[in-house]
Amino acid sequence: MKTKKEYTITIGWLYPELMSTYGDRGNILILQKRCAQRGIGCVIQPIDFATEEKVIEKVDMVFGGGAQDRQQGILIDDLRKRKGPVLKHLLDSNIPGLFVCGSPQLLGHYYMTGDGKKLEGLGLFDMESRHFGNDKPRCIGNTVISISDAYKIEGLSYKNTIVGFENHGGRTYLGSGLSPFGTVLVGNGNNAEDKTEGAVYNNWIATYSHGPLLSKNPHIADFLIAKTLEIKYGKKIKLSQLDDARMWQAHDEMLRKLGV
Amino acid sequence: MSIIKVMNRLRYLIAVGVGMCISWISRIVSYGAGSTWPGEIALRIYPNILTVLKKRITKGIICVAGTNGKTTTSLMISGILKSSGYTVLHNTSGANLVNGIVSTFFHTWKKTDYAVFEIDENSLPKLLDFIHPDVLVLLNLFRDQLDRYGEVDAIGSSWRATLSICSEKTTIIANGDDPMIAAVTEKLRSRVVYIGLEDTTYYLPKMQHATDSIYCPKCGKRLTFGGVYFSHLGKWACGACGFTHPDILITGASYSSPLEGVYNIYNTLAAAATAEVLAIDATLIQKSLDSFTPAFGRMEQVIYKGVSLRILLSKNPTGFNESLRTVLASATYGPMLIVLNDRIPDGTDVSWIWDVDFEQLNTYAFPLVISGDRTHDMAVRISYAIDDAKTHMESDTNLESAIEKVVTTAKAGETVWVLATYSAMLDVRKIITGKKIL
Repeated sequence: MKTKKEYTITIGWLYPELMSTYGDRGNILILQKRCAQRGIGCVIQPIDFATEEKVIEKVDMVFGGGAQDRQQGILIDDLRKRKGPVLKHLLDSNIPGLFVCGSPQLLGHYYMTGDGKKLEGLGLFDMESRHFGNDKPRCIGNTVISISDAYKIEGLSYKNTIVGFENHGGRTYLGSGLSPFGTVLVGNGNNAEDKTEGAVYNNWIATYSHGPLLSKNPHIADFLIAKTLEIKYGKKIKLSQLDDARMWQAHDEMLRKLGV
Repeated sequence: MSIIKVMNRLRYLIAVGVGMCISWISRIVSYGAGSTWPGEIALRIYPNILTVLKKRITKGIICVAGTNGKTTTSLMISGILKSSGYTVLHNTSGANLVNGIVSTFFHTWKKTDYAVFEIDENSLPKLLDFIHPDVLVLLNLFRDQLDRYGEVDAIGSSWRATLSICSEKTTIIANGDDPMIAAVTEKLRSRVVYIGLEDTTYYLPKMQHATDSIYCPKCGKRLTFGGVYFSHLGKWACGACGFTHPDILITGASYSSPLEGVYNIYNTLAAAATAEVLAIDATLIQKSLDSFTPAFGRMEQVIYKGVSLRILLSKNPTGFNESLRTVLASATYGPMLIVLNDRIPDGTDVSWIWDVDFEQLNTYAFPLVISGDRTHDMAVRISYAIDDAKTHMESDTNLESAIEKVVTTAKAGETVWVLATYSAMLDVRKIITGKKIL
């Protein structure tokens, strides 16, 4: 028998067919299952070319993965012109968001390509990215960053590290009003210079960590779920503790391998 | 003879001599790298060595490229040619870069009738600089280790550029069910023979997540699919620019595959189409296919401690999805061992496991054992896919004891299925056969 759920969240997933390079959908699968295990309803709303603004503005969380070059070319106009304003509205209304992979390049003001072409971004985050061509090597490998207590959820086990994998040619520089997601312990982060990784603005998290960021970081998954519920229902809702032994084992094993 | 010509000839002879010596020594001491180093050194001494070496092949050169199925297809072609009485030079899968192909020539002094080379997708343009094959087989393009190979579209464009230089002397066998392969083989000077399944009974109920070319490779609009066999292979059409599925000359009904798995039907068709182009009789082709023994790790059967194991190399989302589908469709399915490594040949980024539809295992009733360098990553992936109450999963970072575990759970008549990435597959084989292959 189907009972009506006490709480239900809707996650808007940007261009699931096009912005999905390397396991990005893992984040969606993880959020769905972690909600289901707690009896929280979780509806996935794909945001595609034909999705209307009034549908998008009703989502409770936004997720964006990475796009390959050709795929990005196919969607960028639609994203900037038709989705840009409603995304800005969601950001300003504190709707939580997670953007992985190439998102720092997409959310910022612009991306300067290796041959000097300036590609306009969404301009939602005060940051810019550039590719230095062959002058600077690609940033590839496992990463560990440390994050602040802001991601702590009352009553749940917590670690201040995030493990991920980065693979980007461009480098991102944050504007003065923007906080990084964390500080680099292992890897390159935004630009391999200032030890910053990703960026946070209102309740949106952007990170170069690509693929399934949430797989080895259950605390970030729960932070997003808790924040989404809090914004939607206007009160703090206590999340039950799940059995995350396997997830933390994977997290700790990576810390051990990387000597953190 | 001019002095330049003499010097050139001398360099060539030195390159061949050095290459053959290294090849011979490394085979005697069975040093693994023997499959690529002789060629690498010979290429450094004489970069154009292939343009001379290819003259040792008297009847024809066949090259096989594509993300999945190269090894099985080229082994099938080689088998058909041999059973037709021809001598064949054939590279091993670990030697599918240009240096590996050069090394393969050093295995014998003698001239051979045919050469069958499987070639890495990124090395195909480089190989075609030296060799214009008589038959070129293009199987498919799927995402595979983006950190190493780059994007499917980028490989497609480089193939397109390189294929336009092939002449009428080359016949191309192309998979018409793959929109990207159809796009890169359109309007070439070479004759193109399209293969495809043309069988609606293989259609999937819904599209898988791991697809690449579902937007028109020509105009960028979304393709429509009358049906999908797996990934983006199917009966596609572009409603916007009119680019359509090519007419299929050799369909799934033409030959029967000796191996389970829908992907193996494509491999069978590609091999049979190649043999048809080489004027081999259809009855003989089927007869040779029927006695086909799989390449190592490609549906290979090994008996270990009295238990039958099937090893399936599963190295990217599409390959893994098809391996799972094959296991679940098999009449003899049983316990499963999944091994994930993250070494250079596997790709150092394991994110791709989230593009595999492990949700298929949701109600898998047999024991599941996870191992490999990235045991924990795979365990997390599968724990999010399955119902813990229904499927028993165990992880063990020690591969030897993981193999023991899965083998001891097998009941009489059950097959143990091993799904492993490249280096993991080699590790598994080494443990169960007691010897190293590469």
